[in-house]
Amino acid sequence: MPSPDKRTPTPVERMIVAASHLVEDHAVLMVGTQWPIIVSLLARATHAPGAVICYEGGIVLQDMPGRIPLFTADPVVQSCAAFLGESLDTLGMVLHGGRCRMALLSAASVDRFGNINTTCIGPYVSPTLRFGGSGGACDFGSLSPRTVIILEHDRRRFPERVDFITTPGYLDGGGERYRAGLRPRTGPYAVVTTLGLFRFNEAGEMILSGFHEGTDVEEIRGQVQWDLKVADDVGPLPSPTPLELDTLRRLDPERMYLEYKRLLEGKEISL
Amino acid sequence: MTVRNKVMTLPEAVDRFVRDGDTLHLGGFIQQQPFAAAHEILRQGKKELVLSICAGMILADQFIGAGAVSHLITTFCWNPLPATAHAFVRAVTRGIPRPIELEEYSILTLNLAYFAGAMDLPYVASKTVMGSGFDSENSPDGAKNRLRFEISPFTGERVCLVPPIRHDVGIIQVQRADPFGNAQSWGMLGESRYGMLSCERIVVCAEEIVDPDVISRDPNRTMIPGFRVDAVVEVPWGAHPSPVAGYYDMDWLYFAHYERRTRDQEGFREFMDKWVYGVPDREAYLGLMSRTRLEALRPDPRDADPVPYGTFSRHFEEARDA
Repeated sequence: MPSPDKRTPTPVERMIVAASHLVEDHAVLMVGTQWPIIVSLLARATHAPGAVICYEGGIVLQDMPGRIPLFTADPVVQSCAAFLGESLDTLGMVLHGGRCRMALLSAASVDRFGNINTTCIGPYVSPTLRFGGSGGACDFGSLSPRTVIILEHDRRRFPERVDFITTPGYLDGGGERYRAGLRPRTGPYAVVTTLGLFRFNEAGEMILSGFHEGTDVEEIRGQVQWDLKVADDVGPLPSPTPLELDTLRRLDPERMYLEYKRLLEGKEISL
Repeated sequence: MTVRNKVMTLPEAVDRFVRDGDTLHLGGFIQQQPFAAAHEILRQGKKELVLSICAGMILADQFIGAGAVSHLITTFCWNPLPATAHAFVRAVTRGIPRPIELEEYSILTLNLAYFAGAMDLPYVASKTVMGSGFDSENSPDGAKNRLRFEISPFTGERVCLVPPIRHDVGIIQVQRADPFGNAQSWGMLGESRYGMLSCERIVVCAEEIVDPDVISRDPNRTMIPGFRVDAVVEVPWGAHPSPVAGYYDMDWLYFAHYERRTRDQEGFREFMDKWVYGVPDREAYLGLMSRTRLEALRPDPRDADPVPYGTFSRHFEEARDA
């Protein structure tokens, strides 16, 4: 891991900055836990100061939090909120009500058609591995006009088909999502990883759209479990600017996100 | 108005209002989770509970590891570090200490189910979860829940029907309540209001029991009207290690400690023997921790400005006296 004072961005920093570029100024965002927190705050602190950040527990932010929230229910966000209500306010009135422009989500794994699994590996009734479960993620992906999925790239996390669809993407593609009843003009918009940026074609299939410095199309094609299609105009993604990098590192001075430091990892705990 | 004083001790409230086999709702979305009451339920050995909790977190994890739950209704169960909720995973993957039935929803659908439950609506129709693993028609091998899918008679489109979920008993930790049970809460409220109002019996744990005048001076803040409430218990720090807006922060250290100690069932038992079964009450539980460290979880003061409600009577008197 390069030390933070170097001017070279780490893969995680490239991922966060690239995802932040997808956030439009003044967009109303439903923001999930983990990567979306720092991505949305970076966007607010750089090119999208008017972005409206909403969390599933019923929160709409006003100001930047005093420190980086560790999750979306971190009490730190209550001291900088414009609105504190219920889940039915944000997931109901904002998201289901059609007032949200973009949802940002982390994922344990994502497949060829943008379906996300944060539930289990193996059959649902007898899983070999079990994760936390949906929370609001299923609703984000079901209802948002644009869903941006952010995760560190690892071939195991890119199966052709996820074992369980916690959050619906384009299902099996070819309009299957809309036949299931989900609204038109909703669905995955992009996947951003530590290797590159993916978008979705008409059929709802993930295609490689851009790659970070230090990697290339062939490497990325080897890092998913299916025959990945590549956009005609695939090319390198813009590197984080010095200002973006500085802003990002100031947002997370403890590098909780940037080095994925588990809270108190390796430290003695005395209660 | 004559009001019944419902203040009682936590053991009495749990003994009187929580029964074996109950569908038990624990309120508080991540914050304000009623840990003190939950621990008393476990100490009293209540069993075969159907636990309904929107954010499972380590509170559901403790019930599951203790073997007190036969069926879990939730939207997620993890330790917010973020890390695994180990007892939950042991039960779901290996049936340790016992298998549990899972009834999983998304947060929006579970909130709508509580909403429908509170109003006794036959169902609520929505446009979420369709095609996902929570859609039993689309994914027969998916999650087990009570969602149904129909064609809307109004628009002809496929919709997700969310059933009402009602509970035998519900418990939440709030900031303040009066002796009648009027419970006031603020901060992030998640599913708290409709979750609690979908309960037949309601136990309110409060950081402070206050004079009814405090309630009636700011009635917009009341989440549960007192006439719905069966028991009021004063339990300072009753939500620890979860946070209560204005009272104390999340105790991250405790969550990390819990994660380390509960990685196997033996460790889990030791943890519970110390923190739940080995203490008679909340005071003793708090006594296991450094008071200085706990006090550091208190927030710096930051008050809302008072709002004018006013009283309107003068113009009537003036009209009468004219």
